[in-house]
Amino acid sequence: MVRHIQLTPLSFLGIGIATLLTFPLLYVAYSAFTGDLSQAGNLWNTRLPELVTNTISLAIGVSIATLTLGVSTAWLITRYQFWGRAFWDWGFVLPLAIPSFVLAYVYTYLLDRGGPVEQSWQWLAGADVHLPSPYSFTGALVVMTLNTFPYVYLLARAAFQNFNLSFEEAAQAMGATRWETFFRVSLPLIRPALVASMFLVVLYVVSDFGAVSLLRFQTFTYAIYQQITGRFDYQSAALLSLLLVTFALVFLFAERWFRQQSRFYQTSGRVRTATPKPCSMGQNLAITLSFLMIFVAAFGLPVFLLIQWTLTAWTNGEVGSSFWTYIGNSVVLSATAATAALALGTPLAYLASRFPSKLHIACLQGAYIGYVLPGPVAALALLMLFTDVIPFLYGTVFVLILAYLIHYLPAGLQAMESALQQVNPNLEEAARNLGSKGFRTFFQITFPLVRKGFSAAWLLMFLLCIKELPATLLLRPIGFDTLAVRVWLEASEELYQLAAPPALLIVILSIPAVFLLSKKNWQAG
Amino acid sequence: MTCGYQSDVPTVRSLTLHLQAGNILCLLGPSGCGKTTTLRAIAGFEKLSAGEIHLQGEVLASTSVHLPPEQRRVGMIFQEYALFPHMNVENNVAFGLYHWKASDRQARVQAMLDLVGLQGLEHRFPHELSGGQQQRVAIARALAPKPLMLLLDEPFSNLDPDMTIKMRKELYRVLRQTQTTAILVTHDHEEAFAMADQVAVMQNGVLVQCDTPETIYQQPSCSFVAEFIGQANTIPGIIQNGKIETEIGTIPNQSDFESQSRVLVMVRPDDIQFTPSESGPGRIESRQFQGSQTLYSIRLKSGQLIHCCMKPIPVYNIETSVIVHVTTSHTILFPQPALS
Repeated sequence: MVRHIQLTPLSFLGIGIATLLTFPLLYVAYSAFTGDLSQAGNLWNTRLPELVTNTISLAIGVSIATLTLGVSTAWLITRYQFWGRAFWDWGFVLPLAIPSFVLAYVYTYLLDRGGPVEQSWQWLAGADVHLPSPYSFTGALVVMTLNTFPYVYLLARAAFQNFNLSFEEAAQAMGATRWETFFRVSLPLIRPALVASMFLVVLYVVSDFGAVSLLRFQTFTYAIYQQITGRFDYQSAALLSLLLVTFALVFLFAERWFRQQSRFYQTSGRVRTATPKPCSMGQNLAITLSFLMIFVAAFGLPVFLLIQWTLTAWTNGEVGSSFWTYIGNSVVLSATAATAALALGTPLAYLASRFPSKLHIACLQGAYIGYVLPGPVAALALLMLFTDVIPFLYGTVFVLILAYLIHYLPAGLQAMESALQQVNPNLEEAARNLGSKGFRTFFQITFPLVRKGFSAAWLLMFLLCIKELPATLLLRPIGFDTLAVRVWLEASEELYQLAAPPALLIVILSIPAVFLLSKKNWQAG
Repeated sequence: MTCGYQSDVPTVRSLTLHLQAGNILCLLGPSGCGKTTTLRAIAGFEKLSAGEIHLQGEVLASTSVHLPPEQRRVGMIFQEYALFPHMNVENNVAFGLYHWKASDRQARVQAMLDLVGLQGLEHRFPHELSGGQQQRVAIARALAPKPLMLLLDEPFSNLDPDMTIKMRKELYRVLRQTQTTAILVTHDHEEAFAMADQVAVMQNGVLVQCDTPETIYQQPSCSFVAEFIGQANTIPGIIQNGKIETEIGTIPNQSDFESQSRVLVMVRPDDIQFTPSESGPGRIESRQFQGSQTLYSIRLKSGQLIHCCMKPIPVYNIETSVIVHVTTSHTILFPQPALS
């Protein structure tokens, strides 16, 4: 007797949601290859080599830089006792509160020709010395590194905290020096965490639009945006999008594969963790100085400038009533999107965790497609779908919310899944055993128990939506500006003071999400 | 009934059980033998791939019918109790009384808490209770909606040994007092013997024997049952001249096995004694003091190991040579499996 696949009404709901979330991408793939492909050949010859080189070199550069920065800070913080260690422990997570486009706009001011950094450098090294322009590879590298190294820091810190000290002691007992131990034992053992953080960073870099667009550095996302807005060439944009998504998918599978290959098992039983070693005066000074530099560059200085500009703008009366409209737009839009995401994500996560049939897992995986879908690509997908198929909805808030859903449901879905998995299915079975139907069981037993996790998921998605830039730029109804869009528009015109109030507000709003992230269990594997 | 997680490899095969109303049945067997799956099938959490389940004349499940768990009126106590962590004791117990009138509900909750001796703890939350108290709540909660039958999945596995014995008595009292029909899953034969009117022994998804505890102990149907419900020696022998010749002596034959057939004789450790002797064929290999008695393991010349229980005094040292006597006239025989 075959154990038949159970297709409940809930299953159909799950299939429907998964289709809604994946269909736009499929439509892009379809339309990329239908129609006139001569444009594509042109694109292939002219722009592609530059885009590929730029995107890949930026990804590699940022990876190396963030690894160095993230691992060394995590190592020092987990292993040594120095001044202000408790502060640095969470202080290095704060840079995540600054969206890439805000950091980029601050750095275009700082690094510009004749800007404050170059001036002070010339004061030190002579008037003829010039620094590289921010509108370059170097600019993008600096901004993206400062923006993403906390991911490496978080994962490496978790790995070092759960690290079994016995391995290092064994190495040292066999005569290895401290450096040898670090490079031959400690680092290889946390490799899964490093690979996972690399994955996060690379995905972040290749899908970032805000920073590269303000720094005018030609990567795939920026080129896709230009094809859409500048040339109205949707087909080329679709081809570029497909290439980018393919790259992300290959990378995703490579990471999965690697993670399976390198499953290191910490010896079972008691794990001996390190007690931080005290530092000498000199070491204290050196660590404090270098940490301060990183922190000022990644968080302190940008926030200081934003506050200063905001105050100036405020006293000059440049913060008008339209500012409050933007706040309202952002909040209402993001709250609606986050609530919708929660409503759509719940059946998917529930089905996959309670009835893990192939179909249900496939629905869940489908919802995760947004994970490898950069903002401009998600926007393009909806743009093409709605202009071609349902034109009367195009240019409405509905399309924008759908873009947010596709793009950010994966982030919330992870939190929702783990919350649901923490509820022992026995509890639901006990409820049903006591005569309670499925609906009542969910609302009286399951939901109260996952409320915390679901609230966190909602908050995370809400704040990601507040920060969303490319899809909002491309899909917003005419005259409907959000905080993020205002920052970008003003910053593109180099109107630093006007961009500051919305930017500062986004940073302040993002801080709770950052703490949620830092509390999350960052163990890889 | 037959059921399982994969269609081609049923976890439970062709199991047939009958249980009188008011009786307690224990499903006994090693872990992985399908006891819990059987229980979950009765509760409605697993579907049957063949067979039927009836309760008081109603079909709960068959190949075409699958009554959802909430409609079965079968109570269940889970291994980890599954108390709702966000509800206090009172609300946990009242959960199944959703459709009752408020006054009835309150009275029933009080009655149940009285029954299990938890008066005064109504407003505690599960994490504020000890293991034994949690179990009492689980019992009260399961019995509150007056189920037609109660299922218990290894109810004592989360308690320490002292508490287990106390709760076993307590549960027995409650089940008898409420005249509840119950099926209890366990891997502990002592638990099964203490609680059950009937014991059903399972092995690899198949029911091996279902009888009263006494019959199971005295007349196990096969060597698996014999060994599972207590240390049993199974000694190979041959029937000759109406008696069984074994390495430890000649034993009277009470079975109808034919002459010359090879058999396994089951002898309980309590029925074997030894005396030290220089020329004895056995040698004490290990000794385990158990308080009121001492369990010796004796290696015979053929390599066969047998266990026997002796009074704790005198103490015999390891390596002592001994002669073994069987002191019972009452033995169980099984056919000896063909040597491969």
